[in-house]
Amino acid sequence: MVTEEEIEQVAKLMKIDVHDHKEFVEKVHDMINYFDILDSAGVSEEEISMKDLPLTSLREDKHIPFGENLIEKLNNYKGHYVRAPKMV
Amino acid sequence: MNLKISALEYVEQVKNGDISAEDFVSSSIDRIKNVDDKLHAFLQVNSKAVEHAQQIDKKIKSGEKVGQCFGMPISIKDNICIKHSKTTCASKMLEKFTAPYDATVISKLKQEDAIFVGKANMDEFAMGLTTEFSAYGPSKNPWNTDYVPGGSSGGSAVSVSAFECIASLGSDTGGSVRNPASFCSVVGFKPTYGLISRFGLISYANSIEQIGPITRTVKDTAFLLNILSGLDSNDNTTIENGNQDYLADIDSGIEGKKIGIIQEMMGEGIDPSVLSATNDAVSKLEGLGAVCEKVSIDMVKYSVASYYTITATEAGSNLARYDNLRYGYEFPVEGFEFNSYISKARAKFGPEVIRRMILGGFVPSAGHAGKYFLKALKVKSKLTKEVKDAFKKFDYLIAPTVPVLPFKLGEKIDDPIALFLVDINTVMSNLSGIPSISVPFSISNGLPIGIQLLANHGEDKSLLQAAKALESTVNLPEVPI
Repeated sequence: MVTEEEIEQVAKLMKIDVHDHKEFVEKVHDMINYFDILDSAGVSEEEISMKDLPLTSLREDKHIPFGENLIEKLNNYKGHYVRAPKMV
Repeated sequence: MNLKISALEYVEQVKNGDISAEDFVSSSIDRIKNVDDKLHAFLQVNSKAVEHAQQIDKKIKSGEKVGQCFGMPISIKDNICIKHSKTTCASKMLEKFTAPYDATVISKLKQEDAIFVGKANMDEFAMGLTTEFSAYGPSKNPWNTDYVPGGSSGGSAVSVSAFECIASLGSDTGGSVRNPASFCSVVGFKPTYGLISRFGLISYANSIEQIGPITRTVKDTAFLLNILSGLDSNDNTTIENGNQDYLADIDSGIEGKKIGIIQEMMGEGIDPSVLSATNDAVSKLEGLGAVCEKVSIDMVKYSVASYYTITATEAGSNLARYDNLRYGYEFPVEGFEFNSYISKARAKFGPEVIRRMILGGFVPSAGHAGKYFLKALKVKSKLTKEVKDAFKKFDYLIAPTVPVLPFKLGEKIDDPIALFLVDINTVMSNLSGIPSISVPFSISNGLPIGIQLLANHGEDKSLLQAAKALESTVNLPEVPI
């Protein structure tokens, strides 16, 4: 059984402010508890199937210039520099 | 102008000079103006659609080569990027986001002279199955506007059902094309994973989602699949379509084909009228020469929990980019520390997105991954094996697309578990990667019921043949709006 404190901790780690605290946490709590049904699926011996993707089938790792001058579409830039929010 | 024609009829009539692209597109825009106040299928309408149609008419008149769509009006779910057009994912977080490039499906449709009449409403970031989680208000079912149209591609299905356009593109992560198609009485197709490029589709759960067409007829779906399918160097999960012509031989029928009736999708909780319609569909397919038998796929019982665990995990990762540093909106930074700034900025997410992000942080986290995420992946693997085994015996599988009839707006919005279970018949094909299609089949108490057919991996063409056969057995009334 998942506790409400655990849910609150995950929300904090995910950088999410939870409003309507009680109702919200209860709903998430119900959803996670529903997932307990997976315990009775009897899949403990099952292997997780993976699909290999050979490197050769990936597209070439090279820079493709964008056709337009994206920087001019930004609201806050100077020359070739974009102003990002100051965080510290 | 008769707007109630199929895509193929439209192409034929424009080619023959019976109608012009301009007249048809103008009438479609008028129709949107007349009915969309009631339905809210669209988030934005393309103000240049008619001008574009005029250009196509000019091309036709001057004998220039014209693309296969001949100016056909199509709506696009608002999580698919159209260059220089707003793409909001029905979220306030992306309210002012303008896509700087075209999705591959959009490039292909542009090349074939389709006209995008507008961006269709959806559940925020495709998380939902009623369109009630759109940050801009729900779409309404054109069969009865007190009822949900399904989702998350609800706006797409409504726009086709209510004759606001001829076809639409949606995206299907756990039934988001087939569910609204069933609720609105149109055709909704989820192709084999990889058959249609996802480049330019704003990601929700990459490992299982696909773009799919919503149309009036199965033939129209085949027509669009001819345009949309195939390898794309921008999406490494795409697969060869083998130069298939999905329209050729579509009338082959299903004589002698074996169809498995999935027992786990016909049991507890199914609406009696949906059960009766499914049994009727089975009888009709038998009447066309198919052999139908019951089949059991045990893992279906766990598929919804597996689906939500996997999709929440991928959503938690995909939505991390909406932090107001990479994507977001204007929100002053003064007075905030790093984490609290991001938390405050994310207040623009709706409640369902926040719930799924928290789930997505929880189920794969240290200490919980073994109980939830890894187990969900194991269920996915076992389900895929069971589905493969079923196709050793059967050519197709059948089940109702949704086990219940469309329900009233607001009826289930506060009960996430009840909403989960509406997905039970559709998530299997996403988890196993197989193609499936919802075909409009009957109307009960004025509300539509769709029947879902499923085929083995890569058997999309054969699936469309079976769907065409089923479609040929029904004659449904017109939408009453």
